[in-house]
Amino acid sequence: MKKFVCVLVLLAAASALVFAGGTAAAPAKTLVYATTEHLTDLDPSNAYDFHTWELFQNIGNGLLKYEPGKTEIIPGLAESYTANSDASEYTFKLRKGLKYSDGTPFNAEVVKWSVDRVMALEGDPSWLVTSYVDSVEVVDEYTVKFKLVGPVGFFPSVVATVPYFPMNPKLYPEDRWINDPSELIGGKYAGLGPYNLVSFKRDEEVILEANPDYYGAKPKVDRIVIRYFADATTMRLALEKGEVDLVYKTLNPSDIVDLSKNANYKTFKMSGPYIRYLCFEVSEGQFSDKRLRQAVGALINRQEIIDKVFLGQNQPLYSMVPNGMIYHTDDFKTKLGDGNVQLANKLLAEAGYTAAKPLVFDLWYPPQHYGDTEKDMVEVMQAQLQKSPAVKVNLKSAEWATYTDNFDTKQMKVFTLGWYPDYIDPDNYTAAFASSQGSPGMGIYFSDPEWDALFTKEQTSADPNVRKQVFEDLQMRWTDQCPTVPIFQGNLYVFTKKNVSGVNIGPTLIFNYEVLEIE
Amino acid sequence: MKNLLRYIITRTLLTIPMILILVSLVFVVLRIMPGDPVKAMLGAHAPPEVIAQKREELGLNKPIIIQYFEYLGQLVRLDLGRSMILQQDVTQPIKEKLPATLELTLVGLLFTLLIGVPLGAYAASKRRSGRDFGIRLYGNVVYCIPVFWMGLMLQLIFGVWLNWLPIAGRTSARTFVSMFERTGFYLIDTLLIGDFGAFTDVLLHLVLPSLTLGIVISGVFVRLTRSNMLDVLKTDYVLAARARGIPERKVVYRHALKNALIPVLTMMGLQFALLLAGAILTESTFSWPGMGRLLVQRIYLRDYPTIQGVIVVYAFMVSIISLVVDLIYALIDPRVKY
Amino acid sequence: MSAEVKSSSERNIRARFSPAGILGKPFRGLILVSRKYGAEWWIMIAGALIVSFMIIVAVFPAVFAPYGPLDQEAGGQLMPPQPGYPFGTDNLHRDVLSRVIFGARTILGVAFAAAILSSAIGIPLGLLSGFVGGILDRILSLIMDSVYSFPGLILAIAFAAMLGPGVVNITLAVAVIYIPTYFRMVRGQTLSIREEVYVEAARAIGARRWVILLQYIFPNVIASVVVIFSINIADAILTEAALSYIGLGLPAGIPDWGMDLSMGKKFLPSGTWWMITFPGAAISLLALGFTMLGEGLAEILNPRLLER
Repeated sequence: MKKFVCVLVLLAAASALVFAGGTAAAPAKTLVYATTEHLTDLDPSNAYDFHTWELFQNIGNGLLKYEPGKTEIIPGLAESYTANSDASEYTFKLRKGLKYSDGTPFNAEVVKWSVDRVMALEGDPSWLVTSYVDSVEVVDEYTVKFKLVGPVGFFPSVVATVPYFPMNPKLYPEDRWINDPSELIGGKYAGLGPYNLVSFKRDEEVILEANPDYYGAKPKVDRIVIRYFADATTMRLALEKGEVDLVYKTLNPSDIVDLSKNANYKTFKMSGPYIRYLCFEVSEGQFSDKRLRQAVGALINRQEIIDKVFLGQNQPLYSMVPNGMIYHTDDFKTKLGDGNVQLANKLLAEAGYTAAKPLVFDLWYPPQHYGDTEKDMVEVMQAQLQKSPAVKVNLKSAEWATYTDNFDTKQMKVFTLGWYPDYIDPDNYTAAFASSQGSPGMGIYFSDPEWDALFTKEQTSADPNVRKQVFEDLQMRWTDQCPTVPIFQGNLYVFTKKNVSGVNIGPTLIFNYEVLEIE
Repeated sequence: MKNLLRYIITRTLLTIPMILILVSLVFVVLRIMPGDPVKAMLGAHAPPEVIAQKREELGLNKPIIIQYFEYLGQLVRLDLGRSMILQQDVTQPIKEKLPATLELTLVGLLFTLLIGVPLGAYAASKRRSGRDFGIRLYGNVVYCIPVFWMGLMLQLIFGVWLNWLPIAGRTSARTFVSMFERTGFYLIDTLLIGDFGAFTDVLLHLVLPSLTLGIVISGVFVRLTRSNMLDVLKTDYVLAARARGIPERKVVYRHALKNALIPVLTMMGLQFALLLAGAILTESTFSWPGMGRLLVQRIYLRDYPTIQGVIVVYAFMVSIISLVVDLIYALIDPRVKY
Repeated sequence: MSAEVKSSSERNIRARFSPAGILGKPFRGLILVSRKYGAEWWIMIAGALIVSFMIIVAVFPAVFAPYGPLDQEAGGQLMPPQPGYPFGTDNLHRDVLSRVIFGARTILGVAFAAAILSSAIGIPLGLLSGFVGGILDRILSLIMDSVYSFPGLILAIAFAAMLGPGVVNITLAVAVIYIPTYFRMVRGQTLSIREEVYVEAARAIGARRWVILLQYIFPNVIASVVVIFSINIADAILTEAALSYIGLGLPAGIPDWGMDLSMGKKFLPSGTWWMITFPGAAISLLALGFTMLGEGLAEILNPRLLER
């Protein structure tokens, strides 16, 4: 027994000494960026999510890019470009003498190889290339010409997207896309961006170091460590304990409230592109009657959902076109309102539903896919809908795989869904749900030839007046037909320690690490 | 000696049907899951030909019997297949996460023994007293506390209110794992490169999760040790030791405990299963990047092969541990007949 | 059955092992116990009290709960415990006390149903296996032992994930993992009782096999089954809570302690401790009640019964 105690004392003394040892030395200017996001494929030919694109925008570069925080397009790897008279051919003059960090030279061949590869592999984002580009031609070592399928006035903004980024042909296999950097030929990443990918441990930590060969201004932060957290609570606590310097996506509502009030941290709040809405299966069954859809839409009380579930963090949304986007209107507010029990009862009565014979239906939701606030949201919605005595709602859930299956089987008549845009334009928020072509893929099955005609009109016109008129018309029609009912639009928050500056995320939602600074 | 050999062989061979049954059970269960994994993998909008092609590629069109035997064949070669959701071999995330779970479970076991065994021995020595009753009550109560609630309470008290200990992850966000990771057992890895700061960090992060596990399972060991000690304390040689004038404390803790420990140690085999199960919940609560959390994540993604692989690995671990423990028991306890 | 001439010995045997005889035994036992086994007696009584209280609350929640469990207008948002709201409110303005009370019904319902299902399958299988023996016994025992040695929670997770959300599915998932426990206990008892003299005697007088099973062996097994049942419910409670906690449990709209814990933990760093403290304490208390009841009963009826 005595021996045992002596050993314990010695151990305690030893650990006390060890405690005083201190942490391993780190090189100057490291910024730890915490997030709950996940990286998908480390390959532009198949990466199609915001976070992986964010990484590529910092470890790679496009021919053209956006000025940080702005919507102006500026030269990237291409010094300049010219278009032919009808905007169906674009010729880019590339910067000379650039090399990837493994020595591979950057030239027109590399650009052609990368774009051809994306088209050939047919990954998720490949349509961004194949819809516009017919072929790529190498004019000379530093000149490359894109021949398009037709006139595309906004091609510069398309070429700035990640699938067009010139990738190092020595590293990426020709015949398939890769998932991890360990699958690169040689195993190490080498790029042209302001940062280089130095170390990668999926869902744990990714280390980036400033690229000494970068053609632009040297980043002020030498090393960025992206730390992946499994849940928001841990991430918030990490910030409060000083373990991380910057937090972006996605904190719990209560964490956002607390951190915003805390003077020790800087808060950056932006209107996000992310929207949530309710969908109906409109081709068969009860909800083919638009009055019922309108009634449900009228009963939803957006602000109440936002206050209860998100502690006031998001914005109510009265159109499928997000707040702040061109041609947005608030028609749902004027036409149906929030928590409009009176209007709902009237519509329900017209359709034959009363307290004696209520409308009974299942409200479906995916319990994990959008976070666990989903459960709270549908519970609040259930209570709101049942404020009308003529409505009775059952809550039903299905995991995402089953949920998307159910689109095909038309099993879900009323269900929640969310949307992150492919590109920043009202078309992306509307056609996908209500065009005859796109609607079945969302389980909505809405089809109206007049609407299709309107969609075609706005897609083929470059005249902002024409498009404005079309979208205003569509949004007004939306409140009548209600294939979906918009609920809210998410806000994006970045929290940093006081010694961090340079966070500049503009309307493009591109996060440039190279302008970050830390003292 | 021949009997012993026969026992060893029989017992070892018995492990195989046990693993087989568990693996088959898992196979059956997962094939009946609703939700098409191929659609989940390719997205609901993929054209039907692409979906059909993928099914063919993954061998999901073959009759189920064939799939079953192919699966068994793969297992024998220690090939757990490829994940359907991410482009990786199933063994990859398991290799990465298994050390995390093992580290947590082993340190948890350490706490369990450190708490449970001395308490049980003490209770036995003070039989029928208030202290005995109190300790037995502790043993019962503690096992009824859900391990995740214990974790949350400890997080609340020591992490949020007192701010003494970290409450999530294996390391602080500023301790860069890629610097020292080698075996996956961070306690060892940090010592191997001599980074004592990181070692301390890892140790501190281990405290609350393993303590949570340790406390909840200690109740079982309290009862076990106590009951074995009671038996031992009644034996003749203890009586003889007392008669010889050896002080009571030495009698209890040196002579009696050693003998009582043998069945306790064998019980460790069975309790390892409890610890593994508890570790899943603990990993969830403390954001511990281990197999338990991997299992839960992949269930949401309907990643059949990984789910299967994880459960198979669990089955394997449990069977091997219990086999090893049974064999040790047979070897060291002369009372065991075989 | 033809009119048989019953010998007095057979009548005695029947009387001794008839249901009335079996139930009479514990009562006599209890009286002896209260004088002899102080601690176990009190443990059992305490357990019984907790359990009865919880069952009453579960069966008549409206009597005890000031608000409905889904009432989103009960009070303010995230109010700490205070007069009128002894357990505080959650982020949807719901009263936590009411949710805890109504949640008792949910969890007890699932646990009881699961236990009944487990026993309904495990006991007959155990009786059969122990009585008949042979290859059937060997195979069944092997299967049951394998499942028994495997961490139950992991199997429950796999089943729950496979079946999807819903009260019935969760009950099934929880029930499956306890079947081996009943099986092993009953089989063990059957094996030993089978060798008893009175069973041999019954065989000798020509009683049919299933008669022996039902009238001689089964009644002797009941006492241990009751103990296992109680502890089974305690375990089932913990398992159901665990499944809900990781998100594999019941759908939204049903008050559930495990789910409240997982929803509440997001608010922990803000200092909102009441959303998780009370549901968790309720789970512990309920599980403890059933455990104490079972263990107390075990010590009284047969002191060496539960050698885990």
